[in-house]
Parts: sequence; structure tokens; C-alpha cells
Amino acid sequence: MHRLLHCALALSFFAPCFVYAYTGVTIVLSAPTLMNQEFVEHFKAELATKKNLNLKVKVIDLQEVEKLVVADSGELVIALGVNALQASSKLKMTTPVMGVFTPLPTFNDLLETSKRDLGNFSAIVLDQPYTRQMLIIKAVLPEAKNVGVLLGATSSQYEELLKEAGEKHGLNVLEEHITQEADLIPKLKKTLEATDALMAIPDPLIYNRETAQPILLTSYRHQKPVFGYSQSYVRAGALAAVYSSAKQIARQAVEITLRAQTSGVLPPPQIPKYFSVMVNTQVARSLNIPLMDEEELQKKMLRLETMQNEEYRH
Amino acid sequence: MINKAYVTLLMLPAVFCGQASIAEELTQKTSSSQIVTEDDYIGDVPKVLSVSRLSQSLADSPSAVTVIDRETIRAAGVVDLPEVFRLVPGFYVGTNAGYVHNTNHAVSYHGMTTAYSGAMQVLINGRSVYSPLYGGVQWSELPIAIADIERIEITRGPNAASYGANSFFGVINIITQSPDSLPANSILATHGNGRNEAFYRHAGKVNALSYRITTGYREDDGLSNRNDFKRTRLLNAQADYQLNDKNSLEFEFGLAEGARGEGNINEDPILFLPRTKQINNHYELMRWRHNISDDSDFSLQAYHSFDRSDDKSTSVDLSPLFPPGLLAVPTNILVKNEVETQRYDIEAQHNFALSKTVRAVWGGSVRQDSMQAPHYLGTNKTDYFDLQRLFGHAEWQAHEKLVFNAGAMMEHNDFTGTDISPRVSINIKPTPNHTIRIGASSALRTPNYLEEKFNRSVTAPTLIPNVTLLRQFYADRGNVHPEQIVSREIGYLGRVGRFSLDTRVFHDTITDHIRFRNRRANFVTPPGFVLVPGDVESALNDGSATIDGFEAQAKWQLFAKTNLLFNYAHVHIRETQDGLEKNYIKSMPSNTISALLTHRFDQHWDASFAYYQTSKATMLGDGDPVDLIRRSDVRLARKFNSGRWNGEISAVVENLFNERYEEFADYNTLKRRGRLNVSLNF
Repeated sequence: MHRLLHCALALSFFAPCFVYAYTGVTIVLSAPTLMNQEFVEHFKAELATKKNLNLKVKVIDLQEVEKLVVADSGELVIALGVNALQASSKLKMTTPVMGVFTPLPTFNDLLETSKRDLGNFSAIVLDQPYTRQMLIIKAVLPEAKNVGVLLGATSSQYEELLKEAGEKHGLNVLEEHITQEADLIPKLKKTLEATDALMAIPDPLIYNRETAQPILLTSYRHQKPVFGYSQSYVRAGALAAVYSSAKQIARQAVEITLRAQTSGVLPPPQIPKYFSVMVNTQVARSLNIPLMDEEELQKKMLRLETMQNEEYRH
Repeated sequence: MINKAYVTLLMLPAVFCGQASIAEELTQKTSSSQIVTEDDYIGDVPKVLSVSRLSQSLADSPSAVTVIDRETIRAAGVVDLPEVFRLVPGFYVGTNAGYVHNTNHAVSYHGMTTAYSGAMQVLINGRSVYSPLYGGVQWSELPIAIADIERIEITRGPNAASYGANSFFGVINIITQSPDSLPANSILATHGNGRNEAFYRHAGKVNALSYRITTGYREDDGLSNRNDFKRTRLLNAQADYQLNDKNSLEFEFGLAEGARGEGNINEDPILFLPRTKQINNHYELMRWRHNISDDSDFSLQAYHSFDRSDDKSTSVDLSPLFPPGLLAVPTNILVKNEVETQRYDIEAQHNFALSKTVRAVWGGSVRQDSMQAPHYLGTNKTDYFDLQRLFGHAEWQAHEKLVFNAGAMMEHNDFTGTDISPRVSINIKPTPNHTIRIGASSALRTPNYLEEKFNRSVTAPTLIPNVTLLRQFYADRGNVHPEQIVSREIGYLGRVGRFSLDTRVFHDTITDHIRFRNRRANFVTPPGFVLVPGDVESALNDGSATIDGFEAQAKWQLFAKTNLLFNYAHVHIRETQDGLEKNYIKSMPSNTISALLTHRFDQHWDASFAYYQTSKATMLGDGDPVDLIRRSDVRLARKFNSGRWNGEISAVVENLFNERYEEFADYNTLKRRGRLNVSLNF
């Protein structure tokens, strides 16, 4: 509780001086992907349920404009995807910009390069908290003790946090650092031999389209489940993942939009508040891992997460 | 104040804790050169573990399955592939330096087999490698390096529904490592008593193509008292080409050739004298995998294999055996014993999940075996054997504690027509860690070429006009029915902490067992020939038996770095037909034990100890009574890693206590052997 208070205090103290309330929202799409379109749809729908009619929602597809232009004032820009956030970060410093579908490391990079201030530059990042990922491992494999993690150039900065998150849930995190692609499979094998499961942490060097096959096949041959970070990784062959749907992210985005509307000050970057779980029942059966259904699993995790939050506050 | 606000985010479950002084830290942060985009998180990933790649878990499997993985193969320290089957409960493995086509390991499950071990399906990556001639596998002629094997799945018991023809006593399914999980270069070398071998393997990836090439040379001097040396050059290549997310192609090619010593004066002092023969085998395989949907896969596989054994034997001077002046010159006979077989096989398979609880596979295949074996078939013509099959298998998880399996194979072939081999089982899982399996399976074994068309003789012209001497050894009359097995079992699979157990009791009924009997009386001597005295054998269905027994496999992690694998089998064969010769009963050691203890001392050193024990037995065919065997092997290995290079040096001693014993036949005397292995990856 104290820590929260500190945060809030610090935040109000450092809040940027020039902020404006906004009366409209411009959603900037990196590309008209299904996910982005779903977001827009759900954002509008969610806003409608709030009966907040004074916010006008405009949508710009970045691929269809030569240069991103939004009204100088009175607009909140919600940027979907990294390209949109990058373009939006170059807008006038006083225009509040919130990134969505943006990885945390990239948000950090853009915050630095754009020289923008917090308060008018924020995001709902794509990264699920590690504690949540540890929770799903514990929920699915209560007997698990050791979790393997492969870290690359991008993800290795989070090593300590991973270990801490593991400790919280009684999981021992065994990490391997990958510096070149050739090390990937030998180090994966080494990890699998000593662990109960592999927890995938996004890193373009390690988890990409090309490596999905060797990683998932090698893990499967070691009869060890992989916990992914996206629906597509579960479809590809991971056992389960925590993810947030476009609808869930949109709901959170609406909440932030409304809360910050009058002050014009955006809250600090946030992790996805609402989440879903996805499991691969075929993989579970093949590995002889009994699984509850997704809804039940999600409820169990929510319960555990709430308990954990309580602990955190005290 | 050092602060990792945005980093710390990842620690917090939906609790906001941003702090504004982050900028300081962020400017110090060295950002990675690569920009991470949403694609790296939520981008599409091709489906990898599609339904066809996911095997049934052992707890859901309709049969008892033993999986021997790379690590076990490594720890056992075996140099000859069939040796690993000693670690499968109920298996009998006998080194055999025989005389004709059986200078080979005899591998049998539950006995009733000869040196030719012809009642088992053996697959390498889905390719059936048993010989159409006698139904067994020439293990040393397979173009495969042990180092390339990922794992071996052994189905204990008949499973024709899933694995096709010849899946009679059991199925050995060898799966190699996928090319994209290998180091770029590997060198493996072995030097030891009577054994030298070296392999080089290269693996790589070019865009969507990953490949592996293994090439090697194996020098096996065999047993010291036998003429059974083997020299083998082999090449094996495998490539996977990912066409797109939905389609991939797999290619395989293999080649093995070299010299073999065969023939021993003690067993055959007349015809097949000690000699050297040449073998030459190759195969080509192509597979197309198509992912129809999340729950449905299709695959189409075609392969061709070619096996040739060039064997010529000149007999001793036969004139002393006959009245003087009877035989025409030359008085020694040349036996042209070459065998050339080819197999073409195309198989289509569709795997799908009907619902969350029902999975099924069905498919069909057509095969043609061709055979040219003048000395065995009595003709220079090539003979063809066609086989078609349809198969289907479904698994239904009726309840989380109850799984039903049912399947059948329908086979049609030139020898025996159309037959069906069905199977059913129920797996009851009171808890996820305990499974009780009750099953019944039936399989048919189609007679092989020797059982259907064996026509082996030698002729010697005489000085008497129009009279040629004929020594007819075998004369099949055809119309042999398939052998049938009906296997019933109750199995239990369980895991408690670090201990897991796989046990079963079984009752197998074998009818129409095919064996050779002297039927000289029925043999009609062709005109112009005079039949020399001696048995004229032909194959017929004449034997029925029951096999009862119990087997167990236990895996126990004794300590964090110490593991024990223990196997035990008790097999009791009873002849259920009058007039048999009481030889089925002894054709399997009634008790077999094998154990593998492994211990890792630290990250460099590990050691293993293997123990094998078989009680006395007399195998069928060329088998002789052999006594109780106790064998102990030890292995010590050190791993090393110097950045760019890593590898392992290991030393293996087989039969550590130098117990003198015989396997399979009284001439196979095994002694202590030592070996040094080096493997290097770079």
C-alpha cells in the first residue's frame, strides 16, 4: 500500500506542466490488421456503453496517409502497433499519445528517442506480467518446480525480475542466455533436461516464425510443455498461454481514456489488466497433463492473482 | 533512486506503479539493435504440433509402449543398434554369427522365432525395413547411424491396426533427429576391440530448407571364433522443406554398402564355405505433410528401397561323397546366392480430431515388393508381391478417467488374400498418474517369401547321360495361411513421485504358426533328376501355442542425479497342439532382467552401469541350448565444452567380469570388449 502511495505522489509531483484535456480520440493503425480492426470496433462499442458522447473517435490508417496529422489540441492519440506509436511519438509534444499493442522494450526505446514526457506518452504494453505467467504454470502444473527460460538480447534485461517472479510462486527459474542462433537448440535441450516446463519470453532472436518448429518439436520430444505468450504460439503447439484479446485491451483503453480525459494526464504505462487463457487440449492429452477448461483456469488464476495482489498491498 | 518502473511492470499483476524518474534509467539503457514489434509477440506462427505429430500419451495408448530415448541409448553405450532392445521388457537379443543371411542379431519378443526374427514390424521414420524374403531385419545393413536416432518407440504386442503388416509380436519404430535441431558439424569416432568406426555429420539451414547429411565407415570384426566381419560404408541424408505454413516436404536418402564375412566350416563344411559377400542397399523417401486445419492433417509418403546381397559360394570337391567317376567335372558346385529385393510403397494418412475428446487416423497404402533370389526361389525370374491395406484407429476420451481405443487394419496381398486385424482397449485412469489398461488385439502375419515360395536345391551333373543329381533342401507348396496371434492383456502404468512403473500380464494365443517340416514323401522329383537322400522341407501351418507372462518396466530417480531403469519379464510358452516337439517352450528365456543405472557426477562426468540377465533358452531354427547369461557393462564419460567446440569422450567395457557365455547358438561366444568413443560438435 505504501508503495502505491509513493508512486501516486511521485507521479503527481513529476506530472508535466502543459497538459490539456481532450475532446476527441484519434486511433492510428500501423496497418488494418484483424487485431487492430477488432480493437477499434470494441473501443467504440465500449465507449458507447459508457454513454460518453462528447468523445469523437477518428481512425487513421498509417499506411494510407503520407504524413500523420492530427488536430493540434484536444485529441488523444491511441497508436495501435509499433509503427503507429513511432509516428505518433513525433507529433506535437503536447498531444497525449497512448500506445497499444506495443512491446515494453520498444515503448521504452520510443520514450527515450522521442524525448517525450510521461503523462502524455503512455501505453498498454503487450507484455503480460511474469507473475501472471508463473501463475498459469502453477495452475496447470501444480507439481512443477523448475521452469526454463531462454533469454536473448532483448529479454535478458528482465532476468532478475523473472527470478523474483518465480520465487513468488515457488518456481525455480533456470535461464540460458542465447547470443547466437546456433546455440538455441543445444541450450534449449540443456534447459529441458533440468526443468519441468519452458516459459517463453518474447525475444525476436529466440521466438520467431523460423524457430517455432525446432523449439516446439524439441520440447515435445523431451515431453516438456511450453508456456507461450500468444494465441498463435498455443495454436502452434505450446500447452497454454496468458494473453489479452483486442476486446480486453480496448476495455482497458476506454477506462484510461475516460479517467484521463479531464486532466489530460495519462497514467504511466500499464500491463494488460484483463486477460484470457488459451490451452491446447491436444498437446495436453499427448503429454498426459490434465487440464481444466479455459474458463475454469482463468477463474482460478484470477482468484490467485487477487490473493497475490492482496499480499502485495500489505 | 534506481527505478525500473517499466520493467517492474512485468512483476505486477494489474497494479500500476509507474514512476516518473524513469527517464534517467532509460537513457542509460542500451537498447537492442533490433526493434521489437507487435509481430514478435502476436504474429502468426506456423502450426508445429499438428494432430499427426502428436502421439498418444502412454496413458492413453492402447498397448504397452517402451520409449528408448537418445539419452538412454547414450548411457547404455551400445555400438550395435539391436543391442538397445535388451532394455525392453520381454525382448530377447542374441548376437548371432550364423551362416546364410543370419550373421545378424536375433531380436525377438516373447520367443517362437528363429535367427531370422521375422515376426516384428520395424520402421525407420515410417519406412518399413523388414525383408520380404524372410521377414527380419539385417540390422548392420540399415543406412542409419545410432547418433542420428532421436528415440525408439517399441510397441510390446501386436498392433497391426496402427503399424501395418508384420506387426505381429511387436513393433519397433525408430525416429531420427530432425535436421533443424542439430549442430552444424559433428564427428564421431569409436575405437575398440574388433571395432572401429567414424562418422561425420553436417547439418544446416538454407532459407526454408533444413538438412542433415551423415556419412561414415564401420569396421566390425565380429566374434573372434567366427567368420562374421562386417565392413560398412554408409550415407544418410534427410531434408525438411517448409513450403509454407500449411505444407512441408521431407526427403530422405540412405545408402549402405560393404563386405560381409559369412560361412563357417563347422556348421557347413560342404556348400556355404567361409567367404566374403558384398551388400549394397539404398532407399529414397519423400513425404508431404499438409495441415488441413487446426484439427486435421494429411500426409502422403512414398519410398523405394533396394537391397542387394551378392553372394557366391563354391562348394568343396563333392566327388569323395559319391561313387568314383559319377560326377561330371567340375566336381565342386558354384552356388549363386545373390538376393535382390526392392520395395515401393505409397501411403496416405489423414489424422483428425473429431472433437475435443475424439481423435482418429485412417489411411491406406499400396506396396509392391519384388524379389530376385535364384537360389531361394528356384528361378531366375523376378517375383512380385503386392500388398494393399486400409487402416483406421480412433481414440475416444469418454471421460477424463476413461479412454477407449479401437482400430483395425484390412490387408489384401498376393499370398493370402484379404484379412482383418482388429484391436480394442479401455484405459481407466482413476487419477492422472495411474492407468489401468485392458486390451485385446489380433494380428496376422503373412508368410514371407521363404514360407511361401522357398525352392532351394543344388544340382550336380553326372557322367550318366540325362541324369543330374538333385539335392532338394526346401520345396514350399504354397497356400500357407497367415499366422495369427490374439493377445489379451491387463496393464498398469503408474507414477508416484520419482518412481514410475509400467507392468502388464498377457495371454497370447498363436495359431497356424508357420514352420518347416520334412515332406520329402510329398516331393515329386522332376524328370531327368535323381534325388539325393536328405530332408525336403516345406513350410506349413502346423503349430499353436499360448504365451502367458508378466513384464514390468520401472524408472526410478534414486537421487537428483542418479537414475535407474529396471526391466523384468517372465514368459511361459505352452504348446497347445499335439505332435509338436516341445521346442516352442524353450524358445524364450523364461526370465529376463535388464537394468541401467546412470549417475551424473558433475557437469562434466557421468557414468552408467548396465546389467543384462537371461535364463537358459533354445531358440528355434539354428538356435542351440544356451545357459543362463549374466552380463555387466560399464561406461564412463566426460563432456567438454570450449566455446566453439563441444563434445564427449567415453569409455565402455562390455561384459566387465569377462563371463564366458554363448548367445543364441553354441558358437557365439561372447568375451569382454572395450571401446573408446569421441564425439565432437562444432
